Amino acid sequence: MDAIWASTEKWFFKINPSLKFATIASLFIVYLFVHNLNTMIWTAVLFAMLYFAVNGLAGKLAFGLLSLILVFSALSSTAMVFFGKGTHVLFDWYLVVISEESLARGILIGLRTFIFSILGLIMASTTEPVPFFYSLMQQLKVPVRYAYGCLAAFRMLPMMGEELVHIRQAMRVRGLLRKKGMRARYERLKRYTVTMLAQSIRRAQRTAVAMEAKRFSMSQSRTFYYEIGWSRYDLYFLVLIFAAAALGFFLAFWFPLTPYTDVLDQ
Amino acid sequence: MPSNSPDRWGVTNLRLAFPKSQSMFFKDLTFHYRRGEKILLLGPSGSGKSTLLQVLTGLVPGSVELPMRTEERSVPESWGFIFQDPDTQFCMPYADEEIAFVLENRRIERKKMPGMIRRYLDMAGLSLDDPHRLIRTLSGGMKQRLAIASILALEPEVLFLDEPTAMLDPEGTKQLWETVRRIGQERTVLIVEHKISEVLDFVGRVVLFDDGGRIIADGPVDAVLSKHRKELDNFGIWYPGAWSGFIKQNRGHRAARSEPKPLVELKDFRVFRKKTVKFSLSHLTIHKGEWIAVIGENGAGKSTMIEGMMGLIRRQGTVHWHLDDPEDEVAFVFQNPEYQFVTDQVADELAFKLMLKKKDAKETNQRVNEALKKFSLFDQRTQHPYQLSVGQKKRLSVASALIDRPKAVILDEPTFGQDARNTFRLLDLFQTLREAGTTVIMVTHEREIVRHFATRVLRIQAGRLVEDRSQRPEREEGAYGRHLGEHGEVVF
Repeated sequence: MDAIWASTEKWFFKINPSLKFATIASLFIVYLFVHNLNTMIWTAVLFAMLYFAVNGLAGKLAFGLLSLILVFSALSSTAMVFFGKGTHVLFDWYLVVISEESLARGILIGLRTFIFSILGLIMASTTEPVPFFYSLMQQLKVPVRYAYGCLAAFRMLPMMGEELVHIRQAMRVRGLLRKKGMRARYERLKRYTVTMLAQSIRRAQRTAVAMEAKRFSMSQSRTFYYEIGWSRYDLYFLVLIFAAAALGFFLAFWFPLTPYTDVLDQ
Repeated sequence: MPSNSPDRWGVTNLRLAFPKSQSMFFKDLTFHYRRGEKILLLGPSGSGKSTLLQVLTGLVPGSVELPMRTEERSVPESWGFIFQDPDTQFCMPYADEEIAFVLENRRIERKKMPGMIRRYLDMAGLSLDDPHRLIRTLSGGMKQRLAIASILALEPEVLFLDEPTAMLDPEGTKQLWETVRRIGQERTVLIVEHKISEVLDFVGRVVLFDDGGRIIADGPVDAVLSKHRKELDNFGIWYPGAWSGFIKQNRGHRAARSEPKPLVELKDFRVFRKKTVKFSLSHLTIHKGEWIAVIGENGAGKSTMIEGMMGLIRRQGTVHWHLDDPEDEVAFVFQNPEYQFVTDQVADELAFKLMLKKKDAKETNQRVNEALKKFSLFDQRTQHPYQLSVGQKKRLSVASALIDRPKAVILDEPTFGQDARNTFRLLDLFQTLREAGTTVIMVTHEREIVRHFATRVLRIQAGRLVEDRSQRPEREEGAYGRHLGEHGEVVF
């Protein structure tokens, strides 16, 4: 995990993770009901700026993830853009019919994907797993077995990464990579899956026994090494997010970039 | 005898079954121990020693559900358990958090924790400048000592150690036993272990199991070891002196070798991991028929070197094999055999390389059968490779690498974690290969292999070759190893 973070000192890391989680989850619901294309455009721009300002990731990774969600957003808009209904046809080629209306709706869907992803990224790129799960246990009363279970699972991710490298090397040595064609690909995929599954199940079983050997009990009360509390940063965060969201709506009103204030209107 | 007294624990008439097996594993096993005793449990792999430890702690049937029955069982009030695999004992990413996890379980007040964490780390002989250290960055030996620190946080009066050094190098093993010696002084300690040389002077009582899970001896160390040497040999236990008996019967590097023709030349050779040079070498020539031991500390770059030679990771410079098709004629055996298995059946595993080269069915069949017999895997030929024992897995991975008679074989710690029996048989096999002209290159920590078998020793330190020493053969004729049958097949 340390290789991912460039800095965990930024102030977004000091926000109570449960609050961050709840706020961002409620924003998801808000933007589910926005049909104004202008609002979505401005909001997307604002949150993308916010993401760059607050994330604690290494620079390259931050850009990489952003381009990844851009691709996803573009893909998610295509179905609506290419095949949606509309009267003002811009482009027509066999099954593909692009109309002004379908273009607007498609872009809105793409932007919604983008906003959801960028909000998720703001959360993920400013929260370390351990404080997050401690906060879930302390503020949201998530049962300890799920929280520690997830933490134990996090520990396995880098191991699985290393394992993938080993399996690939072994396949090369055994000559599995020399085979070409669909069947060989299927064989390789099967090998990766079987090996990784077998190793992971075994590891999970051993870890579970080791945790119980350390007297981990799912029912009894426990103390906590980290006390996740509240601070002024929580207030700043709420104000900032509210301001950013509100600004999105206002900018759409003041500087409408497109005529589509409700894409559902015919 | 009241077995529920606070100073005496154990089981009476334990019966236990493993899933899918018809018969009971332990049949009326009775075992007791007293406060302050230091006990070593010995036996062949699969004799149920680990399971017994888990029964004695209540992990079986509490956490691991196995059908079992006892007439009486008393479990100590506080105990700690160290498992074999250093990587799967932890659930938190950082060292301090792992110990804190135990303290949380014990409901210790939060503000007392940092001080206690430091104290337990010190007790375990793991001095970290900052206890908030990623566990992933610790070596195997350090991880095991962290595991000890975290069970010390349980303040246990009885310690159970289940092959704690099986995955450690000699240095890590030494440090682990030093720690156990120190913290075990005042406690009751039960140890399951195969490499027993370093624990013998610590324990006072040895319990010997046979492969059916029966106790065949139980008593003071010297009495049991001297009376049951034959069983120890048969069970593959690494007792002091296990090597000397074997070495007498194998010529090792004294055996004659073929004319020194070059096999591979490395020039300005550099190997990278994550864009940094981890191993470099200006010039090295390896000859046909050599047995090369690559030695050095953990993290010195031994595996990097051989993986670089195979082209498995990024490298620069010249690697010139004097072979027609090096990718085909050089075999490689990984440390963990499981990664290497590419089929669902032992026989298919052996046939894989031959099928890839489109050999005809008759020849393939014949060669597979030969190999199954040679490596004592014939009865397992229809099993899934994952169902084999540790030793069988290793044999299968070696067998499948050797099936097409490569000109050279490169092995990453081939005897690591293997019992004495399997180790000696593998070494006999490599010896015959070398005498027949195959080059054997292996990374190893095993001193005896370096001393007795290697014809040439390469010492790696901090990513560089610091020593290149040849061990001269004396032209002398001797018998083949005792593990070879009359047709030169290996008898496992």
